[in-house]
Amino acid sequence: MLIVNHLVKKFKTTIAVDDLSFTVNPGKIFGLLGPNGAGKTTALRTILNIIKPTSGEIIFNDNPITNEYYNIIGYLPEERGLYKRSKVIDVLLYFASLKNVSKNDALERSDYWLKELKISEHRNKKIEQLSKGNQQKIQLIAAILHNPQLLILDEPFTGFDPINQQEVKDLILSFLSEGKTVILSTHQMDLAEKLCEDILLINNGKAVTSGNLSEIKKNFGGNNIRLGLNGDGTFLNHLPEIIKLDQYKNYTDIQLKEDVLPSEFLKKLIVKVDVNHFSIIEPTLNKIFIDLIKENSIAV
Amino acid sequence: MKKTLAVAKWEYIEKVKTKAFLISLILTPLIIVSFSVLPSLLFKDPAPNTEIVGVIDTSGEYFNELEKEFSEFKLPDGNLSYVLVNLSYKDKNFEELISTANKNINKNLIEGCLIIHQKGDDSIFAEYRSKSIGNFKVVARFEDALSSIKLRKKLEEEGIDTKIISYFQDRVKVEQLKLEEGGKVSSKDFLTTFFVSIIFILLLMMMVVYSGQMLVRSMIEEKSSRLIEMLISSSTPDELLNGKLIGLSLLGLTQIFIWMIIGTSLVASALVPMDAFSNFLPMLIYFILGFMFYSSMFVGIGSTVNTEQEAQQITTYLSLVLMLPVVIAMPSIQNPDFLMTKIFSYFPLTTPTIMLLRLNAETVSSLEILITVGIMIISILIVTKISAKVFRIGILAYGSKPSLKEIFEWIRE
Repeated sequence: MLIVNHLVKKFKTTIAVDDLSFTVNPGKIFGLLGPNGAGKTTALRTILNIIKPTSGEIIFNDNPITNEYYNIIGYLPEERGLYKRSKVIDVLLYFASLKNVSKNDALERSDYWLKELKISEHRNKKIEQLSKGNQQKIQLIAAILHNPQLLILDEPFTGFDPINQQEVKDLILSFLSEGKTVILSTHQMDLAEKLCEDILLINNGKAVTSGNLSEIKKNFGGNNIRLGLNGDGTFLNHLPEIIKLDQYKNYTDIQLKEDVLPSEFLKKLIVKVDVNHFSIIEPTLNKIFIDLIKENSIAV
Repeated sequence: MKKTLAVAKWEYIEKVKTKAFLISLILTPLIIVSFSVLPSLLFKDPAPNTEIVGVIDTSGEYFNELEKEFSEFKLPDGNLSYVLVNLSYKDKNFEELISTANKNINKNLIEGCLIIHQKGDDSIFAEYRSKSIGNFKVVARFEDALSSIKLRKKLEEEGIDTKIISYFQDRVKVEQLKLEEGGKVSSKDFLTTFFVSIIFILLLMMMVVYSGQMLVRSMIEEKSSRLIEMLISSSTPDELLNGKLIGLSLLGLTQIFIWMIIGTSLVASALVPMDAFSNFLPMLIYFILGFMFYSSMFVGIGSTVNTEQEAQQITTYLSLVLMLPVVIAMPSIQNPDFLMTKIFSYFPLTTPTIMLLRLNAETVSSLEILITVGIMIISILIVTKISAKVFRIGILAYGSKPSLKEIFEWIRE
């Protein structure tokens, strides 16, 4: 379990991380979400012990961070790249040696993961001879070779085709089943929605919302419907039950006031216009993200 | 420490395998040899051939004696250095003789011609004509020979014993020697001194530039691919920096070792005189210290760089700093006691090069060697400390190149 308490990181003129507190539970994927420049990378770097926080504490499995901690964390940075002119197996052994893994263990585990990700035949090739997807797999192996207790993945799925994405997803899930702690930072809300149980959404270094994803969805205003109409729908703009509406080509997404029952609303509509689609929808994480960030930015 | 060694091992092995290293290993001495040894081979006594020299001696008193004296000079292969030809034909007058000699010189039939003018009194006056007036050696030999012949003749006339005459004529020669620490003497000349020092300085320069570039380039690769983040989430920046420095130093030592083998074979093949390396140990120390000093500087500066172009700029600046001592090399080697030379000896950027020069040009006291080596070691430690501070922040600063002001702030942090 990773506990972050009142984490603050100030640079000369800016506050990159402003009083963040959260808990990452083992066995679950924790999503760290936020727009570009929100302070995700800085937050991750302090958790990784790359930079020192201005104040606040980071506690992992009841211990504060020391240099020993380097050997139990694994990190996959957002931008990918490896020593292009070096051999695959040499690069893997180097990263393992930096995590204090013995050479024999490193060899054994490298071969295991290369086989698991179906790239054993590239073992003795140079990195630059591999396809981009396979290079990313090598980097992922380098991040997990030492069997880390805490795995931090920054955009792990970008650049992978759907088949490889599935393999990577399986790999992450296998880590979870061993009771490890995983932090996932991403912009891909659909993936975060599928994988993360807990999330922390930050903007301008501050927490916008955090907690269990389904709770967040429930609290976000569950009164959403999707409506398809034959004919003119402009009268919708004047209905008092509607808080907000997004009009698309074939349908309209509508947020109703809390006390309005969707079925009552439908009854009211049917007398006025021809309805060809009506469904109750949960807000997507994508929508929550966009709405909250917009709201937050206006408030700031 | 374990991780430092892991980094050092990786940096060393991955770089030793590169083509760039192999090329620098072979190309550097090749360039230096072609710059330094070849010209010295070209200008070294171009003709160890027998020279034919004409003599016009209307008195007929000197030619035979001269011929006898000049038969003493032998080429290394045992042949005569000079063959003297008597051009004093009886049927021609003095002017005709001279114009014939001139023609023969112009046609390259003879190297030159000595013309002896006898004056009314006992004194004589001679001139040497040739196409080039740079042949000091033969002129000096004629002067010596003529003076001694003249003296002998006079003494014989006065009826002095031939033994005493030969005693008079036995000239005392003064040989110029350089006194070394501990009373040893060596007979190096200016050219050898300059040449050996310059070879060392050129090697140091090229090594610093090559390996510095290699280091900066690999750090750019690590930064642009964000590999650096994986590295510093595995080890402390200090471990990484020290590992890189050790790896680079090992790389340098490998280069020195291989060059030493090449150097030894050069000495063995007598292209470079052995006594040129009498100061080898202190020279090696300055060489290694110089390399380490510049390497530790490169690690710090390299961490602030983001693109290949910036790297090129920075290596150019640093090479210019390295060039500075070579510019002041000439005056300092001719006059090692020159005040500026002394000052630059204690300035860490120039200490290695200046000391490499001074070691060969004069006798440097052990105290001075001790102090300068001490200065170098302290400077290396300080520069490494500063570099570590810059490195810690520089490796995480992407985007625009940090300004000098920012870098100073990093150092103070």
